[in-house]
Amino acid sequence: MINDRSRDIGPFVPADDDDMLICRCEEVTKGEIRRAVHEGMWTITEIRRYLRAGMGLCQGQTCSRLVKGIAAKELGVSPAELEPATSRVPMRPIEMRIFANEIKEGEEV
Amino acid sequence: MKNIAETVVIGGGIIGCGISYYLAKKGVSVICLEGSDFIGNGGSSRNGGGVRQSGRDPRELPLVMYGIKNYWPTLSEELEVDCEYHQDGNLRLGKNEKHKKILEGLTERAVKVGLDVRMIDGDEVRRINPYLSDEVTCASWCPTDGHANPLTTTLGYYKSARRLGVRFITGEKAVELKKIKGKLRKVICESGNVYEGETIVLAAGFESRKIAETIGIDIPMQKILLEALVTEAEPHLFDQMLGTAEADFYGHQTKHGSFVFGGSSGHEGFTEIYETPFSYSKTAPCVCRGIIKYFPNLLNAKIVRTWAGWMDQCLDGVPVLGNVEEVPGLVLACGFSGHGFGIAPGAASQIAELITEGKTTVDLSALHYDRFKAKI
Amino acid sequence: MKRYDLIIVGAGPSGLSAAIEAAKRGLEVVVFDENEKPGGQLFKQIHKFFGSKEHRAKTRGFVIGKELLEEADKAGVKVELDAAVIGLYQDKEVVVKIGDGIKHFKGDSIIIATGAAENMVTFPGWTLPGVIGAGAAQTMINLHGVLPGKRVLMLGTGNVGLVVSFQLMQCGCEVAALADAAPRVGGYGVHAAKVARCGVPFYLSHTIVKAEGEDRVTGVTIAEVDKNFKFIPGTEKYFDVDTICLAVGLSPMSQLLKMAGCKMEDNPKRGGQVPLCDKYGRTSLPGVIAAGDVSGIEEASSAMIEGRMAGLIAAEYLGFIEKEELDGELERLEKSLKELRQGMFAPKNRGKAVEKTDEGIDISENLLKKGYVADDEIERYPGVIHKIGVHPVIECTQNIPCNPCQDACPKGCISIGDNITSLPIAVNDSQCINCGMCVASCSGQAIFLVDEDCGGGFASVTLPYEFLPLPKEGTKGKALGRNGKPACDAEVVSVKSMKAFDKTNLLTVKVPKEYAMKARFFKAEP
Repeated sequence: MINDRSRDIGPFVPADDDDMLICRCEEVTKGEIRRAVHEGMWTITEIRRYLRAGMGLCQGQTCSRLVKGIAAKELGVSPAELEPATSRVPMRPIEMRIFANEIKEGEEV
Repeated sequence: MKNIAETVVIGGGIIGCGISYYLAKKGVSVICLEGSDFIGNGGSSRNGGGVRQSGRDPRELPLVMYGIKNYWPTLSEELEVDCEYHQDGNLRLGKNEKHKKILEGLTERAVKVGLDVRMIDGDEVRRINPYLSDEVTCASWCPTDGHANPLTTTLGYYKSARRLGVRFITGEKAVELKKIKGKLRKVICESGNVYEGETIVLAAGFESRKIAETIGIDIPMQKILLEALVTEAEPHLFDQMLGTAEADFYGHQTKHGSFVFGGSSGHEGFTEIYETPFSYSKTAPCVCRGIIKYFPNLLNAKIVRTWAGWMDQCLDGVPVLGNVEEVPGLVLACGFSGHGFGIAPGAASQIAELITEGKTTVDLSALHYDRFKAKI
Repeated sequence: MKRYDLIIVGAGPSGLSAAIEAAKRGLEVVVFDENEKPGGQLFKQIHKFFGSKEHRAKTRGFVIGKELLEEADKAGVKVELDAAVIGLYQDKEVVVKIGDGIKHFKGDSIIIATGAAENMVTFPGWTLPGVIGAGAAQTMINLHGVLPGKRVLMLGTGNVGLVVSFQLMQCGCEVAALADAAPRVGGYGVHAAKVARCGVPFYLSHTIVKAEGEDRVTGVTIAEVDKNFKFIPGTEKYFDVDTICLAVGLSPMSQLLKMAGCKMEDNPKRGGQVPLCDKYGRTSLPGVIAAGDVSGIEEASSAMIEGRMAGLIAAEYLGFIEKEELDGELERLEKSLKELRQGMFAPKNRGKAVEKTDEGIDISENLLKKGYVADDEIERYPGVIHKIGVHPVIECTQNIPCNPCQDACPKGCISIGDNITSLPIAVNDSQCINCGMCVASCSGQAIFLVDEDCGGGFASVTLPYEFLPLPKEGTKGKALGRNGKPACDAEVVSVKSMKAFDKTNLLTVKVPKEYAMKARFFKAEP
């Protein structure tokens, strides 16, 4: 989708609930997310890379929908227009020693 | 809005964003086109964050040394973003004689170019980083190396360039370059949109090859899958950048506490090429095994994410930078071969200098497009 | 690397159903699930399901779960538990965490049946301990036997919010109130009514202003919102609670499909990010099929049908069955699925304000605003009639896909007809024998046996009762109205608990005659 990042989305206006936590894992607030949008982070992927929102233990399971709503509102678009961030292996956090231990078929666990 | 600027930059990675930023700072009007939907979506967001001089090819070493001296230490203030730059040295680790030979060779070549790097033994390695296992018997040590956060640095360049008036357009995939009256002028996009500039900078990573072909320029580079993994935040252990002689893994601990480690399975260059870089199922387990041998106390650190990315591996492993005489108006900045992050500020500032002043502070001639010759 | 004909991720209703169908056709099937117990959400569903006999209506969710497991076992399905699939890679390779290591597997086909996760909403204090998902609360009480708190405020009046509120009360929690930012109750009216008649107030067009408390929830303030969901000053209401349950929808857990390169779409009607797939769940990746909530939020009954479809699709894809067999089976299953997707709450009606039933009767305004049908509204529905002697009063006022009551009555007192979503009609010329089967069979607990004049100025009302302790005959107390407020004195005259009632006890209370059509719940004197 062609997205001209010089489009005017208006100024950042501080709000009362700007200090509310949105991404619990990485402790990112609503105000930080809103400000990031005004600094040019117009996609969920960029917000994630810029602020770490959705990069914690739950990998955005809880906050991705919330971040999307906040960013969409700031951009004046529908949340459905914002593509969620990529999903990556592993689906659940996994200890390095376990990830390292490739069990062959037939071997006991 | 008119699609004309003094310079059109193709590629919104750290190189493209950096060039756009330094050009805008000098008052040049810039349009920066990013083919994907995201700024910094290629190697810029998919690297280990090394800001490293040691281990580099002597041809690109002056450029990275220039960047580390003049840009990295003040980059966070300049870009108003926390680049998380640490200049706490780089340890390139070895475990045996073979490794030692590799490291000595690299060290010797770097010293010749004036880099402060030396070989140290296992005990000294563990004085610098006490968490390393006894398997480590030697290392090259470069105290002026370091690491930074590639995500915030790339987006920081973007943010600052945008604030200076650079027009960034994402999802705008350049597919063709076109000369007008003997000089490169137009960039034609998949959408049908056409952008014009007096100078066209090609900084689109591996994608640069296809685009350059449309103007009769062939950059000998190849797409290679690289992978990395990130742990959850762990207590602070060390600040050095790490690598190994064998290149089993490289990485560092971030400010956030997570460890970012890049690594390989040995299949690189031969993995299947898909439209998107998918992680290879054999890689992460292999990288984990590699890391554990060096850092036994990371056994229980949890991996929260892995990722893969393409690197634009150039024939001789160093980037292609500068003008192309056959095509006036074209400037190349691609082929960074998997180590473009640390060199980015230096490279970007020099390309901007080249465009505005016609010359550069650091001699880029060894990195010119015309360097590729047959072997005999 | 071990290769299966079919690898299924998720041992919930759709995954198990898919496994059964595929294994029955000869596929070597393995199901991986990250939980220590199979069944997905089924085993915490202690209420009776809706639908028709074919959909296992009036059977409790956990029983359906047990039956599915038995069926899967018989069909030769291998279910691997504590086995988290950590990645779906290219070439249909699955990496599974098993014990202290990982294992690589390949499937000639893959079914992703990973279900959904709960949504959250934000308000000051939403991160305080004590704010939990309604589904999480349900897991705590029904699977682990742990109360999330003593006094709960439920946000959300969809079926999850309503069902969990009821179950929290069954466990001994007090539900202080239900709130919803929407102007209308989102879930089935019958679910709302059974909560409301216990005395729980509903606050529609209300949402949470703030969770109170320093290091855990000690209270909550809600307030009314206007059409634009902005708070109306002065409408704040405070509740002294220790738990806030959020039942604000589910999002598909479609990450595995996305990481494998499946084409995805963001579809608010399906609950979020879902794979692009045909109506049988075939995704853009050949041989990779999605089933259940992962491809769009619905409920367990439809997930089971989707699962069966997916299992058959895989069987045909790998040549275990012919296309003719597949087509025949799909046609049958589609018909069954279509039945579930009928009525006011059908996916196609999501977000629409339905004002009249299919029969042309006005929907109860009060039901949508307060959770119960007002005394003066109830008379207009075809399940409510007056006659001499004991007769069923069916307070089912919305078109939902459910018909067990029709079959439950051996005397033909209740008629729904062929259309499963039609309102049940109390048949005037049939003779009720007071067997109580209708009362126990109604998953919505909306059927009462009423004798409007049992002599001496009294009426008797038989109502479904699923609380402990079970009152004994002779217990005195208050009859509560549909609104949950004490209506009159009442005395328990009979308590029936038969095996056929499946743990729905029938309480018959004696009330003054004039309360025959008002008394709908019983509360013993303390």
